[in-house]
Amino acid sequence: MATFPVLSTMANGISVFRTWMDAIGDNLANLNTVRSTDEAAFQARYVVAEAVDYGSAGVSGVGTGSRVAGIEYGSAEGRLVHQPDHPLADEDGMVRMPDIDMATQMTQLIQAQRGYQANLAVVDRARDAYLAALQIGK
Amino acid sequence: MPIESIAAAAASGFTPMTALADTATTGAAAGTSGAGGANGFGDAIVGALDDLSATHNNVDVLATKAATGQLPDVHDYTIAAAEASLATELTVAVRNKAVEAFQSIMNMPL
Repeated sequence: MATFPVLSTMANGISVFRTWMDAIGDNLANLNTVRSTDEAAFQARYVVAEAVDYGSAGVSGVGTGSRVAGIEYGSAEGRLVHQPDHPLADEDGMVRMPDIDMATQMTQLIQAQRGYQANLAVVDRARDAYLAALQIGK
Repeated sequence: MPIESIAAAAASGFTPMTALADTATTGAAAGTSGAGGANGFGDAIVGALDDLSATHNNVDVLATKAATGQLPDVHDYTIAAAEASLATELTVAVRNKAVEAFQSIMNMPL
C-alpha cells in the first residue's frame, strides 16, 4: 500500500519486536530446564533482525522497516551444575542447565518493550499527521 | 459491499468532469489503477474506490481471524483498520472537493 507507507513500515518493525519478546519469553520459561549431561542443554534463542530494502531502497531512498532474518541459538553446552539428588543427575551428580542469564533477559525485555512502544508511537503520530493533512482547506 | 455500487455510479456520473482529472490523479493517489493520467476523473475515483474496497476486505479478513483466535499479531489488525479509515477519509475528501467544484460551476451566474 503506497498511500500511507509509514504504517506498513511500522507494522514490520512491531512484528520484529514482538518476535524478540516471544524469544525472551521462551528463554525465561526455560530458565530452569534441566537436562542430563549426555544431552544438549536448552539453547537460548536470539532474534536476528535485518533492514528491508537496505541499500537498494525505493524511490525516496528510505527502506520499509525491518524483518526477522532468522533465529540464532546459544550454547548447547550450557552450565554443568552439581545436583546429586536430581533424577537426571549422572554418576558424578552433575546436570546440564541452560546458559541463560535472567538479568540480561530482563534487560532485553525492557528494550524490546520500549522498541515496540516506540514503533506504536510512530503509528500514532503518522496517523495524526495524515489526519491533519486531510483537514487542509476545510 | 456498498462501495462497489458507489464506484459504478461514479463511473457514469463523473465522466464528463475530465477537467478535474489532473486534480483527481494527484488527490486520489490511493487509486494505483486510476492514477494513470488522462483517464478522466471517473476512472480515477473508481480506481480509488476499488483500492479502498480491497483495504476494507483485508480489515474484514483480519477481524475474522481476530475473532476466531487465528491472529498472530494484534497490531496487524489495528494498523490495517487505521489505514482503512485514513484511506476512507482521503477518498471522501477527494469526493467532497469534486462535488464542491461541480457546485461552484453550477452556481455560476450566466
